[in-house]
Amino acid sequence: MNEIPVFFLHGLAYAGLLFLVSAGLTLVFGMMNVLNFAHAAMYMLGAYFSYSIMMHFTGQFWLSLLVCPAILFIIGALIERFLLRRVHKFGHVQELLLTFGLAYIITELVKWYWGNYPLAVNIGGFLGSTIQIIGITYPVYRIFIFLCAIFVGTVMALILYKTRLGIILRAAVNDSEMTNTLGVNVPLVFMGVFAFGAALSGFAGVIAGPLLSTFPGMAQEILLDAFVVIVVGGFGSLGGAVVASLLIGQLQSFGVLLFPKLSIALVYLLMAVVLIIKPSGLFGEEQ
Amino acid sequence: MKQKNTSFIIIALFLAGAFMPLILKQYHLNMLTEIIIFALFAVSYNLLLGYAGLLSFGHAMFFGLGAFMTAVAIIHIPGLALWNAILIGVVTTIIAGFVIGSLLLRHKGAYFALLTLAFNALFYAVATKWHSVTGGDDGLSITRPDLSLGFTSISMASLTHFYYLTLIIVGAAIVFCWYFTHTAMGKTVLLMRENEERMKFLGYNTNISRLLLFTFTGAVAGLAGSFYTLHFQFVSISAISVDMTTAVLLMAFVGGTKTFWGPILGAFVYIILQNYLSNITDRWPLFMGFIFVSMVLFIPGGLSEVIMNIRQRLFGKKDNNGGKSAASEEV
Repeated sequence: MNEIPVFFLHGLAYAGLLFLVSAGLTLVFGMMNVLNFAHAAMYMLGAYFSYSIMMHFTGQFWLSLLVCPAILFIIGALIERFLLRRVHKFGHVQELLLTFGLAYIITELVKWYWGNYPLAVNIGGFLGSTIQIIGITYPVYRIFIFLCAIFVGTVMALILYKTRLGIILRAAVNDSEMTNTLGVNVPLVFMGVFAFGAALSGFAGVIAGPLLSTFPGMAQEILLDAFVVIVVGGFGSLGGAVVASLLIGQLQSFGVLLFPKLSIALVYLLMAVVLIIKPSGLFGEEQ
Repeated sequence: MKQKNTSFIIIALFLAGAFMPLILKQYHLNMLTEIIIFALFAVSYNLLLGYAGLLSFGHAMFFGLGAFMTAVAIIHIPGLALWNAILIGVVTTIIAGFVIGSLLLRHKGAYFALLTLAFNALFYAVATKWHSVTGGDDGLSITRPDLSLGFTSISMASLTHFYYLTLIIVGAAIVFCWYFTHTAMGKTVLLMRENEERMKFLGYNTNISRLLLFTFTGAVAGLAGSFYTLHFQFVSISAISVDMTTAVLLMAFVGGTKTFWGPILGAFVYIILQNYLSNITDRWPLFMGFIFVSMVLFIPGGLSEVIMNIRQRLFGKKDNNGGKSAASEEV
């Protein structure tokens, strides 16, 4: 079996997952200027909810793919409405501290309720099988992840740049006061954005469950990679997130193949290089 | 008047500290040593967060670096003096602080917070993977070297002796941090937080001031880390993990970032709560998390704000700082 195509596909699958996580993160950051440290914790919640749903209704993967983002959407909306909005007037440091504290609490709650050990999610049916692709046998599920990422990315881009809602969103980012004066309920828009980001993280969590195992450390693991993605791609840039996800997915995948010991450091090395050469990221606007 | 008052409080605290081994049992003395070390760590963190307004999620990298360098030096250099072991820890963190600071300080706010977290993760990854040096998940065990004073040598095997060493050195470092906030440099940092544009206009090079502050706080955290290793005679990767940053953030914030003494109080509360709550329940981090979030929401000034308010109610003393600036604080 040829190794290079396999690792390339692995890289694509991981890139897909990374994009799903970092898209929500970068969206919330770009729109609301809030760096949500709890984003990965919500992603983990999605994975655990999905685990519980699939335990109760055996193997209902599609059900949890619908229900979990909905639950996370509500949680996100509540967090924005009752917590984040309260501290907004105190400034950015306070917002960061709040999301950091929430991430801490969510992680502890997860450890309490589901236990501090990995849980395996098995996926049956067609998604759990393998297919022949470019001459190799490859799991369908990993290809499915990549397709999900393309789907979500396309939908987000269409909403942002082709609909009236997108115009309102971009206007609210540009000048929230003016947009508010023009009759748009800007606080509601921001609540929706945050909730959508949360739903997206929940979606990514459900997707991640069968690929990686579900365990309390999964939040921190993906959070750091997602942070690297938005640093490399440029803060708040959706296109940057696409490119950086693909780059880091391949780097992770081939890093494991070529330099097994250095694979973790490679990603940070890339980040350091980007920071030195172009501090605002590949597609970021100058600060 | 105020300066005199403060010196009096400092001397009183040192004297009280000096009598503690006579009063406290071994277990509590152990805890007190830990509190003093973490108080220094929290104070150094607050110089960044409270004074300069820089939210770092990577302060544990300096703490852990100091801790590991001291442990590695003691293990690999036979007959290394205690002073030199500490010195190695501190010098390494000065270099690391300078290099990392010059990379990261171009960014502010959320960007800075995120990048410090990422760098901390890099340090953690290196510490985990570089098993031959750091011991990986197993950690490193050391024995405290004896303290040589030239004419005589004091055994550090006894906790009481080590407690006195900690009280003097770490205590002095805390006082030095306090002194630092009153120097021209310390004031510069504070004014920079309030209005950087104006400082630039007045001819201050704010980037250099910020870098110096970052390096300084890193070095102080390294000193605390070095004592952490000496105290437990053991260091593991948890010393350099994000959890350690979380711990110091909790200490500083719960104690109060708007006063100099808030983080010291925070370290007291945190270590004591940790010791007692962990006896009662395994879920104590959850309680700490709830305390933290409710403080962020309702009392952003932490416990020191509560104390100041009570004092104001009782004695009618007016705060001359308007609850805003940390510079005009006493002690």
